[in-house]
Amino acid sequence: MTTTVQTLVNQPYKYGFVTEIETETIPRGLSEDVIRLISAKKNEPEFMLNFRLKAYRQWLKMTEPSWPHVHYPPIDYQDITYYSAPKEKDKKKSLDEVDPVLLETFEKLGIPLSEQKRLSNVAVDAVFDSVSVATTFREQLAEEGVIFCSISEALHDYSDLVERYLGSIVPINDNYFAALNSAVFSDGSFVFIPKGVRCPMELSTYFRINTEGSGQFERTLIIAEEDSYVSYLEGCTAPMFDTNQLHAAVVELVTLDNAEIKYSTVQNWYAGDENGKGGIYNFVTKRGLCAGKNSKISWTQVETGSAITWKYPSCVLVGDNSVGEFYSVALTNNKQQADTGTKMVHIGKNTRSTIISKGISAGRSQNSYRGLVKMGSKADGSRNYSQCDSMLIGSDAEANTFPYIQVQNNTTKVEHEASTSKIGEDQLFYFSQRGISVEDAVSMMISGFCKDVFNQLPMEFAVEADRLLSLKLEGSVG
Amino acid sequence: MTLQISSPDTVDKPLRSGTPDRQAYLAALLQQRPLVEKVSPVGLEEVRDRALSLIQEQALPSNHDEDWRFTDLSALYQTAFQRASGSTTLPTPDLEALTWTEASVRLVFVNGVYAPTLSSISACPAGLKVSTLADADPGAIAQLGQQQGMTEVFTALNTVCFEDVAVVEVAQNQIIDTPIHLLFLTTAKDTPSVNYPRSLVIAHNNSSATLIEEYVALAESTYFTNAVTEVWLGQNAQLNHSRIQREAKQAIHIGKTAVSQDRDSRYTLTSLSLGGQMSRHNPVIVPTAEQTDTTLNGLTLAVDQQIADTHSELSFTGSHCTAQQLHKCIVDDRARAVFNGKIFVPKAAQQTNASQLSRNLLLSAKARVDTKPQLEIVADDVKCAHGATVSQLDDDEIFYLQSRGLDRKSAGDLLVEGFAAEIIDQIPMIELRQTLLNAVLSQIR
Repeated sequence: MTTTVQTLVNQPYKYGFVTEIETETIPRGLSEDVIRLISAKKNEPEFMLNFRLKAYRQWLKMTEPSWPHVHYPPIDYQDITYYSAPKEKDKKKSLDEVDPVLLETFEKLGIPLSEQKRLSNVAVDAVFDSVSVATTFREQLAEEGVIFCSISEALHDYSDLVERYLGSIVPINDNYFAALNSAVFSDGSFVFIPKGVRCPMELSTYFRINTEGSGQFERTLIIAEEDSYVSYLEGCTAPMFDTNQLHAAVVELVTLDNAEIKYSTVQNWYAGDENGKGGIYNFVTKRGLCAGKNSKISWTQVETGSAITWKYPSCVLVGDNSVGEFYSVALTNNKQQADTGTKMVHIGKNTRSTIISKGISAGRSQNSYRGLVKMGSKADGSRNYSQCDSMLIGSDAEANTFPYIQVQNNTTKVEHEASTSKIGEDQLFYFSQRGISVEDAVSMMISGFCKDVFNQLPMEFAVEADRLLSLKLEGSVG
Repeated sequence: MTLQISSPDTVDKPLRSGTPDRQAYLAALLQQRPLVEKVSPVGLEEVRDRALSLIQEQALPSNHDEDWRFTDLSALYQTAFQRASGSTTLPTPDLEALTWTEASVRLVFVNGVYAPTLSSISACPAGLKVSTLADADPGAIAQLGQQQGMTEVFTALNTVCFEDVAVVEVAQNQIIDTPIHLLFLTTAKDTPSVNYPRSLVIAHNNSSATLIEEYVALAESTYFTNAVTEVWLGQNAQLNHSRIQREAKQAIHIGKTAVSQDRDSRYTLTSLSLGGQMSRHNPVIVPTAEQTDTTLNGLTLAVDQQIADTHSELSFTGSHCTAQQLHKCIVDDRARAVFNGKIFVPKAAQQTNASQLSRNLLLSAKARVDTKPQLEIVADDVKCAHGATVSQLDDDEIFYLQSRGLDRKSAGDLLVEGFAAEIIDQIPMIELRQTLLNAVLSQIR
């Protein structure tokens, strides 16, 4: 059985092409001058440059953390291109003016940006290397008062909002990679949902790294005012290069009273070849702040790509009765490494959190769940339920769990469960007995294993996630 | 650019500033080590030299070390502990309350030094040999300090500093019914004292024995116990080991239980941690071959401002092994309990079946628990599960008992008793079980 499953899991990466496009790239390396240059290129307000420089100076003082259960050669931060953008002719007014090569690229990735072909009811912000190239459905959203644009545009048009919230959830000195991101981030999405608005469509950002040797440092900020709701999706791919590329993003979410943000990620960066050569280092800081009463933040992630994934989408539950959720499927194959999980920090009263994490490790990969559930001393009546299951495919795969549980309040209730198993010979035999091929059996078992998480994804993404997993694991079986 | 701070030195500063103090502290402790030729007739020089060089390579831990993140050692570093001088005068009534009729074989150590007048080794059954450093078998002594987990700085410190060793050796094919009692007493001292109890248990092939290891204070005082127990289980050997820590309220206790299990052996550890302002227990279990069975039961009771920490490690090496771990903490007042249970299943350990459960009961609003069950699995054909729960007494359960006529207080006590009894009941002596249960209940009432 092992050989069959082995061949099933070794599927080629179909997004590995490079788009030939003229880019404007600054020389490799990082210094205050580079930061000033990035800031100047983006024509940013004064406060932003100060923010970046402060972060850079903090970053210089910090050391790269070594506690995660991942191994990689030291990163040379002077050998990364911190800004790379497709050459822009003029400021574009509509999608028709976007470089057709770019449109074609996104078309190829299954993200149609052109008006007639785009997905129904999903607004897309497409980010290519360091800049946002197009955002769809902006007018329709604006009618409702929803702001959805790239963060560079937001810095010009809504600088007061950005200034108020940027760095308030993930402070610039939060961790090494967050500090680096704060110093050099180039683009990302900005979403603002005003009071009482239920965002009429799914918002989505699609990230694409194209230039070899460049790092992508995007920054996403989502603000949901009182009684609002938004569902946000994020997808990512990159071409196949032999060298490793750094992707250090920061995502900040904030919900005020009764607001809800649903944040879904399907991460499919290039994972490197079967010997672990190349691939993206995905070192991401994602944090949501439930600032208001009865607010809710829900993270759903399907992590299939990246040579190394290292991220912990977190919820800080400050508002009373606020809810945090984390649903995750992390699939690692070949020599991929993933150290991912969540942090649920309960501060307000009667706050609740749920963690469902499914890890599948195949090949010679390492898959670790690392989570923190913290009940603060004032979090009376709070509740947490965590479940982490791991599935091992092949005898060289590794699955670890590191759940930290810290409780300082006796009226709270915390439950944690974890299990590890494999696709058993006997299970496969049972399927074969009933005339189901090994491929179908494996596919069904994995589907069943991940069902709890896929059910949380918005429709369009659930389909994509299922397909992605099929591609990654199940070969020609659909 | 006046703000420019680029050298990493500034980053390390807070860490480094604490280090010289801890190093000086360690040096002060090391200075008091016994002269080897004086206390050990057998060749301990080599193992002691090795431990000493290990210590010199390391620093005493602080909160910056992952293994000590939740346990503050500053109380230890703030006190200058002097080596305890052995005193063997002990009023007999005291002893009666501390010994158990069921355990007729008894070795008593006072402040780390063997007290022959208090011990009872005459009733030693055939096949069992209990001895101390002075009369131990050189073959047994040669096994001291050879296990995994001996590199940890406090353990190495014990290896360098211990004055005596309790040696228990069970011969091949022998079943010893009588429980063996190792009792480590600490007497009251005017100045803070430190002692280094050390035990060595060797159960040869196909043997079976029951061991009670107890740490008891005779009076309230401030002292530091750094205890190490090494257990060797031969093929198909069996040991039921109870470790009871009832140190004084002001004491600091750091203990290591290092166990090496050969093929088909069965090891049960029931560990109770009741005393000490700061206590830490590190069981390190290494099944070195296939088909072993390991059961770890733990109960921690922390009240007032106690910090009680358990860091267990179970590293499989062979296939077809089983393990069950249940660790319970009862935390009251402003106390804090820490649990970190690590199970490591390497690739060779196929068909491992391991489960781990950490259950925690918080009895007051200021009580605190930090728990981290941890699984590291490389083998694919295994069954491993862990779980953790933290909660207070269940209102429904209290209501159920109240509806049957118990008042709220007794209902709560009954539930706590039941919670604790699940572990205490694993101890193989009725007398001791009752004493411990009473001790637990009197602490939380």
